[in-house]
Amino acid sequence: MTVQTPNGFTLDNSGKRIVVDPVTRIEGHMRVEVNVDEQNVIRNAVSTGTMWRGIEVILRGRDPRDAWAFTERICGVCTGTHALTSVRAVEDALQIRIPENANSIRNIMQLTLQVHDHIVHFYHLHALDWVDVVSALSADPKATSALAQSLSPWPLSSPGYFRDLQGRLKKFVESGQLGPFKNGYWGSKAYRLPPEANLMAVAHYLEALDFQKEIVKIHTIFGGKNPHPNWLVGGVPCPINVDGIGGVGAINMERLNYVTEIIDRSIEFTNQVYLPDVAAIGSFYKDWLYGGGLSSQSVLAYGDIPEHANDYSAANLALPQGAIINGNLAEVFPVNLRDPLEIQEFVAHSWYKYPDETKGLHPWDGVTDPHYELGPNAKGTKTNIESLDEGAKYSWIKSPRWKGHAMEVGPLARWIVGYAQNKPEFKEPVDKLLKDLGLPTSALFSTLGRTAARALECQWAADKLKHFQDKLIATIKAGDSSTANVDKWEPKSWPSEVKGVGFTEAPRGALAHWIKIKDGRIDNYQAVVPTTWNGSPRDPNGNIGAFEASLMNTPMADPTQPLEILRTLHSFDPCLACSTH
Amino acid sequence: MTELTHAADLVAERCRLKKALLDVNPELTQTADIVDSVGERAVVRRTVYVYEAPVRLWHWVNALAMVTLFVTGYLIASPPSSPTGEASAHFQMGYIRFIHFTAGQILAVAMLGRIYWAFVGNSHARQLFYIPFWKGEFWRGALLEARWYAFLEKYPQQYIGHNPLAHLSMFLMSTLGTIFMICTGFALYSEGEGRASWLSHAFGWVFWLFPNSQQVHTLHHLGMWVLVCFTFIHVYAAIREDIMSRQSMISAMISGERQFRDEV
Amino acid sequence: MSATETFYEVIRRQGVTRRSFTKFCSLTAASMGLGATGASNVAHALETNPRVPVIWMHGLECTCCSESFIRSAHPLVKDVVLSMISLDYDDTLMAAAGHQAEAILAETKEKYKGKYILAVEGNPPLNEGGMFCIDGGRPFVERLKWMAQDAAAVIAWGACASWGCVQAAKPNPTQAVPIDKVITDKPIIKVPGCPPIAEVMTGVVTFITTFGRLPELDRQGRPQMFYSQRIHDKCYRRPHFDAGQFVEQWDDQNAREGKCLYKMGCRGPTTYNACSTVRWNNGVSFPIQSGHGCIGCSEDGFWDNGPFYERLSNIHQFGVESNADRIGVAAAATVGVAVAAHAAITALSRVAVKRDDKAPPAVK
Ligand code: HEM
Ligand code: HEM
Ligand code: NFV
Ligand code: SF4
Ligand code: SF4
Ligand code: F3S
Ligand SMILES: [Mg+2]
Repeated sequence: MTVQTPNGFTLDNSGKRIVVDPVTRIEGHMRVEVNVDEQNVIRNAVSTGTMWRGIEVILRGRDPRDAWAFTERICGVCTGTHALTSVRAVEDALQIRIPENANSIRNIMQLTLQVHDHIVHFYHLHALDWVDVVSALSADPKATSALAQSLSPWPLSSPGYFRDLQGRLKKFVESGQLGPFKNGYWGSKAYRLPPEANLMAVAHYLEALDFQKEIVKIHTIFGGKNPHPNWLVGGVPCPINVDGIGGVGAINMERLNYVTEIIDRSIEFTNQVYLPDVAAIGSFYKDWLYGGGLSSQSVLAYGDIPEHANDYSAANLALPQGAIINGNLAEVFPVNLRDPLEIQEFVAHSWYKYPDETKGLHPWDGVTDPHYELGPNAKGTKTNIESLDEGAKYSWIKSPRWKGHAMEVGPLARWIVGYAQNKPEFKEPVDKLLKDLGLPTSALFSTLGRTAARALECQWAADKLKHFQDKLIATIKAGDSSTANVDKWEPKSWPSEVKGVGFTEAPRGALAHWIKIKDGRIDNYQAVVPTTWNGSPRDPNGNIGAFEASLMNTPMADPTQPLEILRTLHSFDPCLACSTH
Repeated sequence: MTELTHAADLVAERCRLKKALLDVNPELTQTADIVDSVGERAVVRRTVYVYEAPVRLWHWVNALAMVTLFVTGYLIASPPSSPTGEASAHFQMGYIRFIHFTAGQILAVAMLGRIYWAFVGNSHARQLFYIPFWKGEFWRGALLEARWYAFLEKYPQQYIGHNPLAHLSMFLMSTLGTIFMICTGFALYSEGEGRASWLSHAFGWVFWLFPNSQQVHTLHHLGMWVLVCFTFIHVYAAIREDIMSRQSMISAMISGERQFRDEV
Repeated sequence: MSATETFYEVIRRQGVTRRSFTKFCSLTAASMGLGATGASNVAHALETNPRVPVIWMHGLECTCCSESFIRSAHPLVKDVVLSMISLDYDDTLMAAAGHQAEAILAETKEKYKGKYILAVEGNPPLNEGGMFCIDGGRPFVERLKWMAQDAAAVIAWGACASWGCVQAAKPNPTQAVPIDKVITDKPIIKVPGCPPIAEVMTGVVTFITTFGRLPELDRQGRPQMFYSQRIHDKCYRRPHFDAGQFVEQWDDQNAREGKCLYKMGCRGPTTYNACSTVRWNNGVSFPIQSGHGCIGCSEDGFWDNGPFYERLSNIHQFGVESNADRIGVAAAATVGVAVAAHAAITALSRVAVKRDDKAPPAVK
């Protein structure tokens, strides 16, 4: 049967149905079903979030000052971003102003996450969609070295280095125990890199694995641990004492130097390894421009990284804010998270109940009431799903919409908004990368574009880290060491009923939490998360979400090997724990 | 004794006994040997030796330990304000905890001694450790006592040992409460002594019931308030009954002898 | 050495004696109820078989345990994965997906029956037929039990698998349960924490591969080497605790001097974990060192023992905003007022009523 969606896709579910469950190398539990036509081109896509924990329900009745810790556990991959969003929501509700240093440290925490998450995503969750590990065995280490040295001054590039690595890899593969590489799609036609590029990428896979654990030490210094560093309503928990008695017990010069050193290394790794790799790999796939989905039509960004404390207006945010619809880059709409008509969540196709499911609810009035059922056309049983019925409820993810539009969020969305706003910080690197690859602007709206935007953003974030580290030091130098505002710490000092919203740009996109506080307790808490946007099922009007849209019309080399599906889905860096929470 | 079915019967019964006593020996009402300068004669009152020395000693040691534990326990959870200077120059929290633990040890050892005495002492020494659950008389007595406190009875009852209501609250709140505090207190104490300590082996089962030590803290803390409430009521009742029910209370816990003030 | 290093070769190379290897085999056999001949079968299998296969499954979780694991600095996680174990299934890292991924589970179960380690991150929900966590169209709980059947031992990663963690906090809408509620016939090593420390995680795994036996567990099933002491027992701020020097308010002078966080709600005194000694991320810091109290993240039910910023936990049974002191003070005050009122009424009635000294009245 063929259906035309309001957001411009022609769905046809008559062809062969292919199920991928679990979708791996993402966070959490996801299932995708597609229909392919005779040419093995995807003509219908159904994406499902397959887990739900009920954190919004669990938060009710609790102390709002604790909420960051609960929401942080929504996800350990984008660790900290929910916590930041949460403390912002509480501070917004209670009108708490944080010190300048707290703002800088929070930005450093958030940017550290961006850098870390993007690197781990590219190398460990995404690279194997482009890189054939087994092919690396037949590379010539000398040629690999030459290739690496032509791309970047990164010092780990001698023939001997690659030879040793290849030797270790060989031994590993010959053991017959492939570990995480077991049953991969090695040798598939869809892989296009020459053996040398594969070997170089595998080397960087392992180097990135070593390096990512260094980046997060910034979280450890300011937040005490990673994953799941600590936060505080009203500021940050780490006090600063650079010059006083007992300074060893606080953020002092040694700690600041430690952070500076990690920032420098992050900039270096991003510039010398990550970006050259993306460009190099991209150059072999530049005619594989599928997977654009909603990105060429509807993208959304809330903006983040406030330059000055307590000002969350778009002008003060380093990451852009705005919405683009119908592919019109000439007009970037402002976004108002408080407007009951802008952001709404629908559950017509989600496993939840609303009193009226034809309508959406603004998150302040949001309802989370689980209700699991399968549609009449589903195959299998309630506890053994063979295939889902997308005409009915089919996912634990709700469907958020902006003024009724399904939107894509994430690095690509942010960069498109920044690009459309003609901000040089965003426009220039994009244009340069496209020029280097010899691709038109439209190439941006693709799987590869998403992957490239993430890499550019990583570089941007690493530079911004340096900016806020300098700012932090400058503020301390000017004599301000305060990190927390405790005026409204005690619940006794709070009004009896308030509501607030906090937002961030998480690695995967626009994130916001809406809170209602009544008599010192959480009355309602609703999170609308990047992967909720991207992974959303259809809405009552039939608009498909970003994941589903991105898979449409992609040809598969071999439908029994879902490599293309993985490639495109992974380009979003899906996080299902986030999406359903 | 005939079966008593009514609370009022109990009063009548007691009056009957008293009358019978007087019938046998009318002399009992007065003695001639203790005389005031103006000729007033001492009155004869009945006295019973109730609380043996170990019980009395235990009571006051226990009371002292208990009050110490209240104060230090409260301060452990809500410490006083911080002294300034180097840590090595102070031991404020250390002393509070030390006193708490010392009082706790004394409380526990005293309780062991008291339990021993329940076996070898007089019958009143056993009252703390059981309730005569199946005795109707006990419950009727408790009811009468409750009515007395609710100002519904005109006349108080008199008992050689504890009145049934006191008996009940002592068993439930004081005896069980103290044992609960000892178990949870030593379980918490064992955490500092280490997993290999005998205390940990002896009281580790507490964490089997409440796996998170924070919960044990909460319960231990709640237990304190049960005992504080008990103490309030207990001390008030002791003073009130001393005055109102015409039998000695506080001095009984000092001398061991309970005197019934009604002239015989 | 041949390319295919067996498990036996690996552990011998790491200095494990023949004797302790044999002991491991008999323990494994015993734990699987295989008896004496079983032990020699296990020994034979491990001598001829390669690195220990590890199957890492995900239930309801946030993946921070996986994230933590890859932060390990000693050993480096790449060395763990390339040389010490064979991480054959792990949703987060594995190349395969869908049917190819599912095939690995079935293959491992068959090929390494009784020889693989099942590592579980997250936990199974039981409500809604288990469909709050779906894996391959089926309830995760079924798949978990199925993979546990043939595992040699089970590792419960994190607070989720060990205790239930955040999704099991009240009212636990999915009825998420720790894995030992559904896997009852296998040794389970609990490695709690939200998440556990990376080096503790790799420490536990490599303990097994190095010493050829499961670590000694405490009464709650945790390796006692890492979980037998409280944060507070080895906290470097402990001198300030004993001195009674506390942070009284966020960012006050005491906070800047690194004094004890007890009054800020620190759960160090009630939390068993290695943070104050091993510390986090290769020893860089740990929560307290960075100014925030411990929230007790390795403890059973720690989510329901908040608020995290008060020394005393809330007691929900008594309604919101109540803790032991608020309840106690209210109760004691009630008793106090009642006693005073009672005393007043007693006194008044004594004055009002002309007392008859020989009460009760003589019987006529
Ligand atoms: C009736 C007697 C007792 C009372 C009223 C009492 C009261 C308290 C209170 C209120 C606390 C603070 C709990 C919290 O963290 O909220 C406490 C802690 C404690 N008590 Fe007791 N307690 C009693 C008996 C004992 C006994 C017999 C011991 C055994 C030695 C003991 C050992 C402890 C320990 C070890 C702590 C924890 C100290 C710390 O965390 O630093 N207590 N007690
Ligand atoms: C400090 C003021 C106190 C006074 C004036 C006092 C007075 C008395 C008196 C008069 C009795 C005898 C009651 C009777 O014969 O029925 C008694 C018994 C008792 N008191 Fe106290 N008491 C005090 C504190 C405490 C405390 C703090 C506790 C423990 C929480 C306590 C526990 C007991 C117990 C368990 C008995 C029964 C003794 C036995 O049968 O062995 N007392 N007290
Ligand atoms: N989606 C999502 Fe997150 C991110 N980035 C959160 O907000 O990953 Ni777990
Ligand atoms: S234990 Fe904590 S960190 Fe680990 S998966 Fe569960 S919520 Fe995440
Ligand atoms: S900071 Fe916490 S763990 Fe450290 S001494 Fe103080 S209460 Fe104990
Ligand atoms: S919160 Fe967790 S990380 Fe350690 S210090 Fe406490 S156990
Ligand atoms: Mg939500």
